[in-house]
Amino acid sequence: MTDITGQPTPTPTARARHFGAVAARGRRQDGVFHAVTLAAALAVLLVLGGVIVSLIAGAWPAVRTFGVDFLLTETWNPVTDKFGALAPIYGTLVTSTIAMAIGVSVGFGIAVFITEICPGWLKRPLGTAIELLAGIPSIIYGIWGLFVLAPFLQHNVQPFLIESFEDVPVLEALFQGPPYGIGVLTAGLILGIMVLPFITSITREVFDTVPPMLKESAYGLGATTWEVVWKVVLPYARVGVVGGVMLGLGRALGETMAVTFVIGNAHRISASLLAPGTTISAAIANEFTEAVGDIYASSLILLGLILFVITFGVLALAKLLLRRAQARSGGTR
Amino acid sequence: MTLYARRKLVNRLALTLAGGAAALGLFWLTAILWTLLAKGVAGIDLALFTEMTPPPGDAGGLLNAIFGSLVMTVVAVLVGAPVGILAGTYLAEYARYEQGGRLGEVVRFVNDILLSAPSIIIGLFVYEVMVVRMGHFSGWAGAMALAVIAVPVVLRTTDDMLTLVPAGLREAAAALGASRWKVIVTIAYRAAGSGMMTGVLLAIARVSGETAPLLFTALNNQFWSGDMNAPMANLPVVIFQFALSPYENWQRLAWSGALVITATVLLLNVVARMLAARNRGNEA
Amino acid sequence: MEPAPPSRPRSEIRIETRLADRPTADGVQRPAEKIVIQDLKFFYGDREALHGISLPVHGKRVTAFIGPSGCGKSTLLRVLNRMYDLYPNQRAEGSVLLDGTDILSKRQDVNLLRTKIGMVFQKPTPFPMSIYDNIAFGIRLYEKLSPAEMDARVESALRKAALWGEVGDKLRQSGLSLSGGQQQRLCIARAIAVSPEVLLLDEPASALDPISTAKIEELIGELRSDYCIAIVTHNLQQAARVSDFTAFLFLGDLVEFGSTETLFTSPRDQRTEDYITGRFG
Repeated sequence: MTDITGQPTPTPTARARHFGAVAARGRRQDGVFHAVTLAAALAVLLVLGGVIVSLIAGAWPAVRTFGVDFLLTETWNPVTDKFGALAPIYGTLVTSTIAMAIGVSVGFGIAVFITEICPGWLKRPLGTAIELLAGIPSIIYGIWGLFVLAPFLQHNVQPFLIESFEDVPVLEALFQGPPYGIGVLTAGLILGIMVLPFITSITREVFDTVPPMLKESAYGLGATTWEVVWKVVLPYARVGVVGGVMLGLGRALGETMAVTFVIGNAHRISASLLAPGTTISAAIANEFTEAVGDIYASSLILLGLILFVITFGVLALAKLLLRRAQARSGGTR
Repeated sequence: MTLYARRKLVNRLALTLAGGAAALGLFWLTAILWTLLAKGVAGIDLALFTEMTPPPGDAGGLLNAIFGSLVMTVVAVLVGAPVGILAGTYLAEYARYEQGGRLGEVVRFVNDILLSAPSIIIGLFVYEVMVVRMGHFSGWAGAMALAVIAVPVVLRTTDDMLTLVPAGLREAAAALGASRWKVIVTIAYRAAGSGMMTGVLLAIARVSGETAPLLFTALNNQFWSGDMNAPMANLPVVIFQFALSPYENWQRLAWSGALVITATVLLLNVVARMLAARNRGNEA
Repeated sequence: MEPAPPSRPRSEIRIETRLADRPTADGVQRPAEKIVIQDLKFFYGDREALHGISLPVHGKRVTAFIGPSGCGKSTLLRVLNRMYDLYPNQRAEGSVLLDGTDILSKRQDVNLLRTKIGMVFQKPTPFPMSIYDNIAFGIRLYEKLSPAEMDARVESALRKAALWGEVGDKLRQSGLSLSGGQQQRLCIARAIAVSPEVLLLDEPASALDPISTAKIEELIGELRSDYCIAIVTHNLQQAARVSDFTAFLFLGDLVEFGSTETLFTSPRDQRTEDYITGRFG
C-alpha cells in the first residue's frame, strides 16, 4: 500500500501502535499540565494565606502589649513606645468618606452622561479618557496633589470655606483653623479623583445590562431621560452600582502614596477637615522603614492588619453584590 | 408651573449636571497631564537617562532608578505572568468543567481580593517573609512584591479571555484527537492570545507605577547597582523622596521621572486596549 | 413539544427496528456494520436524554439521524466520539461497538478514538491560524512528516474536500478569512486529513446558504465511498438526498430505523409519518 506521496505507508498495526504511543504520551502530558496549573492556582491561595499569617505574626507583639486599647487610643508616641490606632483609623474613614462623596456623585454623573446623553462618536474616546485616569500611578496623583492642588486649595478655596462657614454651627468646626493646603480634605479630594474611574466604569457596565426594552417602555410612557435613569435604570442596576461603589471604597481605604503626599502625617484627630491628619496606609508608608524597636514596627504591622481586615470585608461585600447583579443579568459568573 | 414643565426642568438640570461631571473628569485628566508636561518636559534630556541620581544641588539623571525599575519589573513579570496565566488556565479550562468543585470559585474570589488589596499590605507581607529572613532590603524582595501584584491582573484577564473562547473551537480540536493540554496550548491560547497579552501589558503598567510595596522591600539606592541582593534604586521611590525634598534640582528630577512613568504607563494602557479591541474583533 | 402519541412499550419498538434491519430473504447484501449501538442511554446530570437506543451504522454508507429539535439526535452523534467526555455531568450507559470494541469502556483512550472518528460541527470552527496550519494541525498531533509529505497530505485533504481550487494559492491566509461555506469545507478537509474511518457531521450545512449547502451535500456524496458517515440534520430533504439509512428519533427514543428510501416512502410508525409529512417538528 502506498499513500498519496508514493511512500510506502506503515502497516495498519504499526500505525496503530505508533498512534497508541502518542496518545499515551498525551495522557501523561495532560496529567502534568493539569497539576502545574492547579499548583499555580493554589499558589494564589497560598499568597493570601501568607499575607494573613505574616500580618498576624508580625502584629502579635503589639496585640499582646496593647490589646483592645490599640483601637481606642489616639496616642502615637515612638519615644515612650505607646501606640494607638484611633487617629489613623479615623483619618482613613474620613478621607474615604470624602472620596466616596465626590467619586460617587461625579462618577455616577459621568456614567449617566456616557450611557444616556453623549453622542455615539464621543462615547469611546470619553470612556477611554476616564479610564486612563485609573491607569495613572498613585504617586503621580500624590505629587500633583502636593504641588498643584494643595496650593490652589490653600489660596483660593480654603480661605473661602473658612469665611463662609464661620458662624454656621457644625460646619464651622469642620472648616476651622489656618488653611494649610494639605490636610484631610485635600487627601479626600485626591482620593475622590482616584476612585472616580472605577466607579464610572463599573456603573457603566451595570447600566449596560439594563434591558433596552425596559428603558424603551418607560420612554414610551413619556418619561424624560432623567426619569428613565432615576426610576428605571438605577433601581434595576442598584445592586451592581452599590457593588461598584464598594469596590471604589476598597481602593480608597487602601490607597497609600497619593494620601501620604498630601495628608500632613499628623497622628491626631481634629474636628477640622483642613487640619493635617494621617491614614493607616500613610502611617505605614511614612514610618515603617524608620520604625526602630519591635513594638513600633509591630504596631505598624498591626495597623496593616486592621486595614487588611477592613478592605477584605468591603471587597468581599463588593464581590458578593456584583455577582448577584451579574447573576440577575444572566451573566455566567 | 405645570407638572410637565417641572419635569422637563428637572430633566434638563440633571442632564446638565451629568455633563458637568463628565467635563470635570476630563478636566482632571488634562490638568494632571498638563502639569506633568509643563514641569517635566524641561528636564527630559540625555542626562536624565545617562547619569546617576545626584546629591542635592548637583546635576544628574535617573539612570540607576530607571535601570532598577526596569530590572525589577522584568523579573516581576517573568515570575508573575506565568503564574497568573497558569492559574487563569486552571480556572477557565479545568475548574469550569469540574463537577461540584468549589476550588475554582474560591481561587477566583481570593484573586479578586488580591487584585484590589492595598499594595502596601503586599509590601508588608514581602517584608515579613523576605526582608526579615534575608536580613536586608533587596532588589529580589522588591521584584517579588511586584510579582505578587502582577499575578492577579494576569490571572483575571487570562481567565476572562479563555472563557470567551468558544466551546466549539475546543471541541473541534478535541475531535481531531488532540489531548486536553494540546487543545489549551495550541488552540485556546492562540484564540485568546492578544487578550492574554493585554493582561500582561496591564500588569506591567500596574507594576511600573507601584511605589508603596517598594518602600520597604527594594528600598532605594543612591548609586548604580545591578545586584539584586542589595537595595535597589527604582523610579517611584526616587520620585517620592525627591519630590518631598527641599532641594530644587531633586524636585525637578522628580517631575521628569513622573512624566517618564506616566508616559510609559499610559502608553502601555493604550496598547493593551488596542490589543483587547482586536481580540474582541476576532471573536465576532 | 406536544406529548408523544400513545406509544407501544419501548422494548417492542426496539425489537421491531432490529427485525427490520436483519438481512432479509431477498438476498440483498447488507454492508458491514461499522458501529453497533446497543441499548444506549445518555444523561445530562439527572435528565435522561436517550432512553436506550440500538442501531447499527454501516461502513461506506451515509446514515442520517433525523427528528425534531431536542429529540437527542445530536446527543447520539456526540456519544459516538465521546465528545461529551469534556463535560463532567454528562454520561452514557450501554455500549457502542466500533469494529467490535466497546468505545464507552473506561479503558478506551478518547483521543485515540477521535483519531478514528472525525467530526464536523454545526458552526464552522476554523482555528485562528492559516488554512495550511488548520489542515496540518490534526496531522501533526500524531505524525511526524517531512515538509513535502505534509504539503502532499494538505493538498490531498483540500482536494477531497473540493476546496483546493479555491484556496490552493492562498494557503498562508487565515482560515478565518474564508466564507462560511468554505470554512465548513475547510473543517471537513481538516477532519479527513487525519484519515479517520468514521465521519460525524452535526448539521454541517444548517448555518450555510443554499449554494454552499449544495456543495457540502455533493461532497458528502463523494466521500461516502471511503468513509462511514453519520449525519445529523433537521432538513428532511437533505437526509433523503444524501443518506442510505435514516434513523428517526423522537423524545430520546429511536422510533424507526431503516433504509432511507423505505423510511421516507413507507414509514411504519405513525409518528415517523407525521414528522416526514411535516405535521410537527
